[in-house]
Amino acid sequence: MNRRDSLATLLGKKKSQKTTTTSMAVTGLTPYTGSWEFKQAAHLLRRTTFGPNWGQIQDAVNDGLDATIAQLLTLTPLSQNPDPPINYYYEDDPDVAIGETWVNVPYSYQHRIHRRKSLEGWTTKLIIDEKISIREKMTLFWHNHFVIANFPAFSRYKYYYISKIRKNAIGNFRELTKEMTIDPMMLRYLNGFSNTKEAPNENYARELLELFTIGKGPIIAPGDYTFYTEHDVAEIAKILTGWGVSDNNTTGDYVQGKFNPNKHDTTDKQLSYHFNNEVISDAGENEYSILIDKIFEQDEVARFICRKIYRWFVHYDITDDIEINIIEPLAQILRDNDYEIAPTLNVLLSSQHFYDEERIGCMIKNPWDFAAGLVKQFQIQFPSEPATYYETYRVILQGAGGLQMEYFNPPNVAGWKPYYQAPNFYRIWLNSVTLPIRNFAIQTFVSQGIILFQDPAPTNIVGLAQVDYLSMLNNLSNPFDVNQVLADFIKLLFPKDIANNQKIILKEILTNGLPDFEWTDEYSLYASDPTNQAQANAIKSKINNLVSAMLTMPEYQLM
Amino acid sequence: MKRRHFLKSAITLPLVINGMKISTISAFNSFNTLNDSDRVLVLIQLNGGNDGLNSVIPLNQYDKLANLRSNVIIPENLIIPIGDNNAFHPSMQGMANLFTNGKMNIVQDVGYPNQNRSHFRSIDIWNSGSSANDFETTGWVGRYLDSIHADYPNGYPNSDCPDPLAINIGYAVHETCQGISSNFSTALVDPDNLSNIIESEPGSIDLNTCYGSELDFVRQSISQNNAYSGSVSTASNLGNNLANYPDEDLAQQLKIVARLISGGLQTSIYTVNIGGFDTHAGQVSNGNPENGVHANLLQTLSDAIAAFQSDLEQLGVDQRVLGMTYSEFGRQIKSNNSLGTDHGTAAPLFVFGSCVNAGIVGNNYEIPDVVPDQAGVPMQHDFRSVYGSILMDWFDVEESQVQDLLFPEFQHINIVQACTVDTDNPKLITPIQSYNFPNPFKNWTTIHFTSTGGWYKISIFDTLGHEIKVVSNQNFPSGDHQIKVDLSAFPSGMYHYRIISRDAQETKNLQKIN
Repeated sequence: MNRRDSLATLLGKKKSQKTTTTSMAVTGLTPYTGSWEFKQAAHLLRRTTFGPNWGQIQDAVNDGLDATIAQLLTLTPLSQNPDPPINYYYEDDPDVAIGETWVNVPYSYQHRIHRRKSLEGWTTKLIIDEKISIREKMTLFWHNHFVIANFPAFSRYKYYYISKIRKNAIGNFRELTKEMTIDPMMLRYLNGFSNTKEAPNENYARELLELFTIGKGPIIAPGDYTFYTEHDVAEIAKILTGWGVSDNNTTGDYVQGKFNPNKHDTTDKQLSYHFNNEVISDAGENEYSILIDKIFEQDEVARFICRKIYRWFVHYDITDDIEINIIEPLAQILRDNDYEIAPTLNVLLSSQHFYDEERIGCMIKNPWDFAAGLVKQFQIQFPSEPATYYETYRVILQGAGGLQMEYFNPPNVAGWKPYYQAPNFYRIWLNSVTLPIRNFAIQTFVSQGIILFQDPAPTNIVGLAQVDYLSMLNNLSNPFDVNQVLADFIKLLFPKDIANNQKIILKEILTNGLPDFEWTDEYSLYASDPTNQAQANAIKSKINNLVSAMLTMPEYQLM
Repeated sequence: MKRRHFLKSAITLPLVINGMKISTISAFNSFNTLNDSDRVLVLIQLNGGNDGLNSVIPLNQYDKLANLRSNVIIPENLIIPIGDNNAFHPSMQGMANLFTNGKMNIVQDVGYPNQNRSHFRSIDIWNSGSSANDFETTGWVGRYLDSIHADYPNGYPNSDCPDPLAINIGYAVHETCQGISSNFSTALVDPDNLSNIIESEPGSIDLNTCYGSELDFVRQSISQNNAYSGSVSTASNLGNNLANYPDEDLAQQLKIVARLISGGLQTSIYTVNIGGFDTHAGQVSNGNPENGVHANLLQTLSDAIAAFQSDLEQLGVDQRVLGMTYSEFGRQIKSNNSLGTDHGTAAPLFVFGSCVNAGIVGNNYEIPDVVPDQAGVPMQHDFRSVYGSILMDWFDVEESQVQDLLFPEFQHINIVQACTVDTDNPKLITPIQSYNFPNPFKNWTTIHFTSTGGWYKISIFDTLGHEIKVVSNQNFPSGDHQIKVDLSAFPSGMYHYRIISRDAQETKNLQKIN
């Protein structure tokens, strides 16, 4: 083995396998006018919800692109303010009876665990119950943007934090930034609550600029990160002094941080030339809001968030072409709409670019796309008693956590690495640890469905919620035709068509190598008398085998 | 520069076979470069930015630090002296023992010019081995492995390389091991619980499309998982642990590493991780600065390394293993009022093992009487010089290639030595004799230094770690030299000058006044 070849020679010989360029020029944000079929509708719903099922995709095909996007972007007051989480099993909390919510009662370390579990089950339920709406995908987007983590006992803070995000999921970016800046969970997470005039703490100020609003560019001079300077960090820390978290031991809706004028630095703060040397004078508890308005006057803010939106919905690779033809005009749309997110999403998701063949199917499913997607695509029916569904949903949340996307616990303030870490991005989700876990989840899901728990999971198993393969089959376009059955499952489970040699193998699994008409005969026999249990089971086991084979294919990991 | 040759492995000795240089045919031969004598590097990433000044405490600066960071400094009667001028945090008894037993090297004040104080950018710089201004998407280990395994992952594993080339103990591959076309590391959490994944029939994959390229990645990942899970399981079953490890995550990660090495796994790079070093608040307990978050972290680190080294020695594989810690930056000299410290500049780095050249490389930074807000400890050693020295002396990479892989200004540091205890240790560092006059100064000062002949670079840094001016970057004949430095364009305040040659450097303070 040669350790002495010059590196340059090797670099010259070696071609990157990660070529994603094509001869096709990047299409822009002009509205998509191409064909609107299952593939395009499925692409839209997979990227904007967690695992659409057959019927939902068919409805979207029938409704058309515009109506489907309108539906995705319509959030009702009810959907923005879902009922709060409840105590679903725990008998010893004097402040919270079973069936009651805990979000408005004082903090209790002793009784923290049931509240955390409740928050987890509730969060998962919102994802799994959601129909055609972008709300949960955007809620997770903002959680990954305005990151909070750790503090497992602080469920009450987290509830109000995530509720603000959910309510504003497709609302105004600038206003959400303001809400997050004085949110108690955020004040705790990034030390804002200990930022006082005597002891300024730069932690939040730095992340506000670097990760939440304007982003960090190359160092162009000492302490100058293209869009802001170290001096701005220090001055903004002063602007934000005085915000703390008031007593958590009170009753009521604990929504925002508390301003203490005695801890606020009342001197003038001057920002750098990046912000026109603006002087921000003392404005007490409104000062943070003035600051954020000032930051949002900078054009870069819209570019920064549009890149993140692009990486969340379209693809990680932002080439120069994408930057010019997509990010820049999208950012202009966001500015023109005063930082309202919904119109911006509307343009992106309706664009020619979004439906380019090149964009379809090249996103590795994140752990929530994977875990919630399994449950939703296969239309698992959960029991209606909170004692069961909360605990079961919580196990799904843990499953996504095991796959490295734990809700309420991103690895650090930059969020989950697949959305920023070059060059691997989405590929970070899959490796020799997480692939076997996904594989194991698939095997368990296919063979037994979802295990239903009551507290304490995982010891207290109360049943199974299984896939109804037969009703799935019955709803396909033509269950009598084996080729159509296979084609439909391919359309439902994979982002693109597969090769003929793969189809032959899958069909072999479905028919045991018998001629096509035998499937028609077998299915007809079942259809003529669905109460014939033996025949029903025979059909069901074939579909089960097919699904089992398909879910273990690499194609299933993509969307 | 004269290199010591005792480290070279057998493969490099028969330089000529049948009249052909081995370097020209080795790509086609079946040499198995990985065997029981082959070397392992274990990288321990300390996430968050470790407070170097509370880890390796400079005794001759203690009084000044006691003023500047009075709420976090460790009481002098509790710290553990090592060498003449330094002490460890009281939680670091395990590492202190390694140091005393000649198994630890401390490289002082490691960083890079134009320190970036963003966690994410800075750790990218450390993992990629790039300069602060270059965006490099490969990792430094990845580039090294690319230079040997140019076709990876095509054709891997194979009979020459049956095992993972690198392993990250964790749930993801490690950025350090990112190569040009793929990541060389295998993620591993539990070697007793590895499973095969069904490999389905592939269709036709068009790598020129985005979809095809991602699909190929998933397919490759599945087949590599299957290919490597067997060899990792085998090594895990054959391997052993003989030391007691604390029940802490880092120690348990290192325990897996020791077991796999002793089980014969031919992996040359392992990465392990410990988080929590971002101690903005509550770094120390109020009133008991020897306790608290940082004390616990250092205890965890020190105990884990001590257990690991002891295990390797009992297993008889210690002479094959070198360990190194790193963190994205040090912390500021002044503490904040939240019993914590904010993002700073350079910090010490620890290299351990039976084959290190024990001691401390570099001097204690001389802390001035007045320290500006936000000032960090200025860098003495470039982290790429540490990496490069390990590549040269541990993995036998040529200096010219190290310069290609890392940076042209590479300085060799004697970190690695013969594995047996050597009474005649090579000197760790040749300090450059230098001073500047006048100091303080208004507009200009003159740096005086003695050249031993060869390349020298002199640059000026501000207290945030930015290299604001390169004064000189050229060859100097042997003898005394004087270089005038004009700082009239810069505001008054504290600066540093750093003078480096291929194998020595010095960093000193400059005070510009009105």
